[in-house]
Amino acid sequence: MAVGLMQIKNLKTYFFQGKGLLSKFVGRGLRIVHAVDGVSLTIKRGRTFGLVGESGCGKSTLGQTIFRLVEPVGGEIIFKGRDVLKMDQDKLMQFYQTAQLIFQDQLGCMNPRMTVGEIIAEPIKMHQPKHHRHQGITQQVADLLKAVNLDPEASVKFPHQLSGGQARRIGVARAIALNPDFIVADEPTSGLDISTAATILNLMQDLQEQMGLTYLWISHNLNQVRYMSDDMAVMYLGKIVEMGRTRDVFDRMAHPYTKALISAVPRVSTGHRKQRIILEGEIPSPINPPSGCYFRTRCPQVFKRCDQEAPPLIDLGGGHFCACHLNDLH
Amino acid sequence: MPEPLLEVSNLTLDYDLGNRKMRALDKVSFSLNRGEVLGVAGESGCGKSTLGLAIVRLLPRVAEIRRGEIIFDGRDLLKLSEEEMEQEIRGQKITMIFQNPQNALNPVFKIETQMITILRVQDRYQNSGKRKRRRDYRQQAIERLRSTGIADPSERISNYPFEFSGGMKQRVMIGMALSSGTSLLLADEATTALDVTIGAQINRLITNLAAEHGTAILYISHDLGILSEIADRIMIMYAGRIFEMGPTEAILGSPRHPYSVALLESLPGRQIRGKRLLSIPGFVPPLDRLPSGCSFHPRCRFAEPMCSQQVPPFIEVSKGHWSSCLLDQIRGRQKWQWA
Repeated sequence: MAVGLMQIKNLKTYFFQGKGLLSKFVGRGLRIVHAVDGVSLTIKRGRTFGLVGESGCGKSTLGQTIFRLVEPVGGEIIFKGRDVLKMDQDKLMQFYQTAQLIFQDQLGCMNPRMTVGEIIAEPIKMHQPKHHRHQGITQQVADLLKAVNLDPEASVKFPHQLSGGQARRIGVARAIALNPDFIVADEPTSGLDISTAATILNLMQDLQEQMGLTYLWISHNLNQVRYMSDDMAVMYLGKIVEMGRTRDVFDRMAHPYTKALISAVPRVSTGHRKQRIILEGEIPSPINPPSGCYFRTRCPQVFKRCDQEAPPLIDLGGGHFCACHLNDLH
Repeated sequence: MPEPLLEVSNLTLDYDLGNRKMRALDKVSFSLNRGEVLGVAGESGCGKSTLGLAIVRLLPRVAEIRRGEIIFDGRDLLKLSEEEMEQEIRGQKITMIFQNPQNALNPVFKIETQMITILRVQDRYQNSGKRKRRRDYRQQAIERLRSTGIADPSERISNYPFEFSGGMKQRVMIGMALSSGTSLLLADEATTALDVTIGAQINRLITNLAAEHGTAILYISHDLGILSEIADRIMIMYAGRIFEMGPTEAILGSPRHPYSVALLESLPGRQIRGKRLLSIPGFVPPLDRLPSGCSFHPRCRFAEPMCSQQVPPFIEVSKGHWSSCLLDQIRGRQKWQWA
């Protein structure tokens, strides 16, 4: 039985717009962006938890909130029994050794004046100063490069000399440098060629097996989440609308948004082209979300109750959760 | 047999960077009928965007077309003057939409201004006669926005590009691209930067408009999933050459080239959880140092000595299905099992 490595409870991250002096004069008042709006989920040890949704649904903000790169306004993030949000600086530094974030734009995360070797060595020097002996660290960097299938000679290169796939591998190497338990991967393959993306996916699966890693896999690519994750959640406007074992969510999708999202994914098939559900309109602004169910403005199955009350996230059985009034009907 | 709208034959193109000569397109030949959707797929650097730009002659100055013809509607585009291209072809009969609509719209002008400019230009060359008033153009622009599915177009037309989402900007581009005289649309990764749900909307819009007006589409994308859904035929490119071309069902269902098989096997959509994805070893070769023979042979698991000695011919293996694999041609049909 897998146990929860990280438990997120009712997490809320809001951004405030119009706090400045100018907006006081213009008089537009405070506007609140509900980026993450009451998210609860459990990430099991040694498993991969997939988080999907359209851009602007708050999935990346959630990833950043876990590391307190963005401070939430409420909720709990329990990691190995401790609340990350209540940690002081020392505890937080320890947390950063066991949990790592891989950003979407890897090249943007690298100092263009540092060599690849220095970039990978940086977290080691920072967190484990005891190992800060030149000889040891060079060997460690070489081992890390080998672990991500790169030539150790790559350590003298500069970021601009790297291809997209190499940059991602360096990002992975840096993330595993401190031997973490938990990695948040935010769109780890976006912008890569099919074949290069496949190498990154294979690499991350190998590392998971070797090091017993737990992943939070943030992606808009449903095919990838289906392939990579054991459990998954679908987010829409800061809320989870469906969550469960990946197999269950794909086989017995219960929320109209999940259905539309899965139906919209282009899949290679040679048979009949399936009838697709194509949503009208776009994701509404998280500043003034619609009343009731947030999805009702685009939902093909909307009915009277949807604009009056927000549907709670209820268990349909076997840990498969869904937030939709339709579930009460059958 | 309908006469093809576009017929490209033996198109060969170099990027000449002084000390480095890169062959970006090598004897590319294909044809496209009216109302047909032809998908172009391949890894980055395989020449698919260059092909699109070559057709409308928007190539950078370092590009040099060595050989070949691009016959469009009975005329060789490579022989037209720059003036003729501009007045009759580009933006008129052949239009383009690109991956990043943000870069294609001028940020300091309203959507209105930009659309009206396009309409004026299209009008000037198409029905050279009466000039309409701005008000009429504006009305026409609003109608175009409406037909691309933008809600409340008479209001939104006076917005600036930054006030539009990515999907809406792509709709504006399509609205600009599809004039009444357009017979060929080049879509270069038109939905890559968009969310799946919005991408599905845009693809539906493009194919519907094309079906309505009988417009042919050259749809460039690295996503075989999208091509599977919208393309009638698919062309697989590698390092400037066409490796395989044929009806969509044939390419995806019974591919003949090991490279096509490899591309399909590396997609996570087809594999079950836990099974390793195929990743083709090595990289797309730099275009100035292409391997001899079949340019894929260093990465191909099935390569034999002859593959490095002989450039494989592009042969019709079954009706309308072309492939350029020597082994397939000599030994007959193979099962390319990469894993």
